[in-house]
Amino acid sequence: MNRPIRQLAEQLDAHQISRREFVRKTALITGGTAVGLSVMNKMAHAQGPKLRVWLFKSYVTAGNDILAKQVEAWAAERKVQIEFDWATFGDREQKFVASIEAGNPPDIAEMNYQGPMRYRPALRDVTKLAKDLAATRGGLLPFAERVAQLDGQYSGIPRLVFGGGLHIRKDLVAEKGLKMPKVYDPDVIDIAKKCQDPSKELWGFGQTLNRSDDGNGFMQNILWDWGGGTWDKEGKPALGTTFLKQNLEAVQFAVDTIKKHKIQPPGVMSWTDVHNNEAYMAGKLVCTNNGASLYYAMGAKKHPLYEKTQVILTPGGPAGAFVASNPYNWGLFKAGKHAELSEDLVRWVEDEKRFEEYMKACSGQAGPVYKTRAEHPYWKSDPNYEGMLQNILRGVWIGYPGPITPAAIEVQAQYILCDMAGRIVVGGLTPEAALKEAHKRVEEIHRIRSRG
Amino acid sequence: MAVPAAQVGPKVALSAAGWAVGLRRVLGPDYRMGYLFVTPIALLVLSLVAYPFCYAIYLSMTHKLVGLPPVFVGFENYIRLTSDGFFQRAVVNSFIFTFGSVGFKMVIGVVMALVLTSPVRWRSFWTGVLLIPWVAPTVVSALNFLWIFDGSLGVLNYMLVHVLHILPQGVGWLSEPGLAMASVVAVNIWRGFPFFGISFLAGMRAIPGELYEAAAVDGANPLQRFRHITLPGIRNIMIIVVLLSTIWTFNDFQIIYILTKGGPGGTTMVMPVLAYETAFGAQRLGEAIAVALYLLPVLAVTIMVLARYMRQGRRR
Repeated sequence: MNRPIRQLAEQLDAHQISRREFVRKTALITGGTAVGLSVMNKMAHAQGPKLRVWLFKSYVTAGNDILAKQVEAWAAERKVQIEFDWATFGDREQKFVASIEAGNPPDIAEMNYQGPMRYRPALRDVTKLAKDLAATRGGLLPFAERVAQLDGQYSGIPRLVFGGGLHIRKDLVAEKGLKMPKVYDPDVIDIAKKCQDPSKELWGFGQTLNRSDDGNGFMQNILWDWGGGTWDKEGKPALGTTFLKQNLEAVQFAVDTIKKHKIQPPGVMSWTDVHNNEAYMAGKLVCTNNGASLYYAMGAKKHPLYEKTQVILTPGGPAGAFVASNPYNWGLFKAGKHAELSEDLVRWVEDEKRFEEYMKACSGQAGPVYKTRAEHPYWKSDPNYEGMLQNILRGVWIGYPGPITPAAIEVQAQYILCDMAGRIVVGGLTPEAALKEAHKRVEEIHRIRSRG
Repeated sequence: MAVPAAQVGPKVALSAAGWAVGLRRVLGPDYRMGYLFVTPIALLVLSLVAYPFCYAIYLSMTHKLVGLPPVFVGFENYIRLTSDGFFQRAVVNSFIFTFGSVGFKMVIGVVMALVLTSPVRWRSFWTGVLLIPWVAPTVVSALNFLWIFDGSLGVLNYMLVHVLHILPQGVGWLSEPGLAMASVVAVNIWRGFPFFGISFLAGMRAIPGELYEAAAVDGANPLQRFRHITLPGIRNIMIIVVLLSTIWTFNDFQIIYILTKGGPGGTTMVMPVLAYETAFGAQRLGEAIAVALYLLPVLAVTIMVLARYMRQGRRR
């Protein structure tokens, strides 16, 4: 459209056409284009309804491709147009917030464990579908049951949980004649000290306490491992009260890995979620906690450390070994126009054969949320998968030993526990002062979120 | 008693005509056309600036969670922030980051301009090279520095430890106390000094050469010439550049968010990053806007004072 109008303008400038003729022809071109676009729009509608789908772009790219293909196959089968969008670790929540506030969320989206609780006001009640799917799959595992529903009303349909564990260099451990660690103190400390060689830039343990999902997960786990936690059984703040003694010991341990034992590399307090993956694959770490994406990346790249790595249960502490199993969920938005189609899509991709295809491409990342999926022989096909599965099965939920609540989710989202550790390591606070400060922030969040 | 319409009509018409004459006299003969021309831009400003700004002020006085309607809470968000230690540290960090960066940028900018006004070879080439940090997208620069500063795999530690043998072991540039803030300030300086330099260069070139010649004849040394001719000559430009840079640096988000996300332990947390984290991390939108607006009056007063000072300088 641009070119004919420009030509007309040139003709007008050159006095080849009158001003009136220019206006008439321009109006004709513009009107014609508008009519054409309108017809095309109607034709597009005639091709079927359009469903807006947001998927999560994980580091396991093979899984992403398979899921996208499955959604496309469903769209072709049902004669539905699909408008895809991908959300990453970095922009997922921002996209949800912006779209919900603008009143324009997708019909269906893949959300992390925070989604069902955080976006509950904007999500459809999917209780029936969630229960139907769970009933034919042996029921949901306890952590998935907790995350997806509140007071019996499901806001999400659990899909998978990331497998993972302590990735450890079995060649280095064997070289020193050591056994695989079961607890952080003294096992991991001992192995790290004996296997590391700072002169060659090989460090015993790579675990950031910085504001990141990795830092959050580790800090939360060790509080539980030492018998403490952020919340009590009723869901009230307990960081600096009920569990003060246990939490102090746990935080002290975390700080000691950097300051006292010196088993962590320089700069670890500035790491984000990818830094430990990079450092491990560069051969600079003896062990690190990570999701299965690290194992997948080494396998996909035929990395020399793939064969030298063992993925074992995340180590524990004096009170046991705890990990948070944080499932991903399907969320159907109230503002979406195609609720039935969205439910049909969920049934399609959660079909056992399709999920199996997806799971096998994910190298342990597509962990089970249903009981029957945990019994799939796939989990015995690689010794490292066995460790990942056991980690998932013993998993608890954010807010444990109390219920999962919006306040518990916000404490994670605001990296309160990471900041607490950072205030000791970098800010120079004592563990007591840092715990007190963090407890105050947790109480404030609890107070604000209790208002609804 | 009712007045007949015939008696009222001419009076109204007369007074309306009188108004029109009066308006024409005050606003000019084409005042109707003036309104026509001004209306679109006035509407644009009202809809794109005034409305969002007023709405933001309203939202900052609400308890607003994602997906739920706002609940008016008055000044509660502002009062709560005032006593919040994390927020207080963010305010202090914002001032350290801003004034630390702007101060260094000004000094380096003056040096850059002085070098480029001296008879160096390939001056245009060097001007282009020095402008690269300013021209490069901030995100790209910040990501490069993230790699440069990396404790384990970064090029800076590699150079210092393995090539130059200055340090026995790498340093956590973004994780050590003091170093984290110094590192993000350094990146901001690196990115911003060319703007100062190129602006000062333009100012210095506008100073008449006769002034320097006369000063040289009077026996002024280079330092005296710089102090008594160059500095007063670029004073107004300096104020404008400092003013703009202060606003930009105070609102700078990308460098700190990419390099440290405000960590570790809030050491580098500044107001824009805190506002972002409160909006998208905590998902408390009312409070996030309160964070963003909290220092607006302080900045506005700073700008007004500087602008006034500048106008006075121009009058002198």
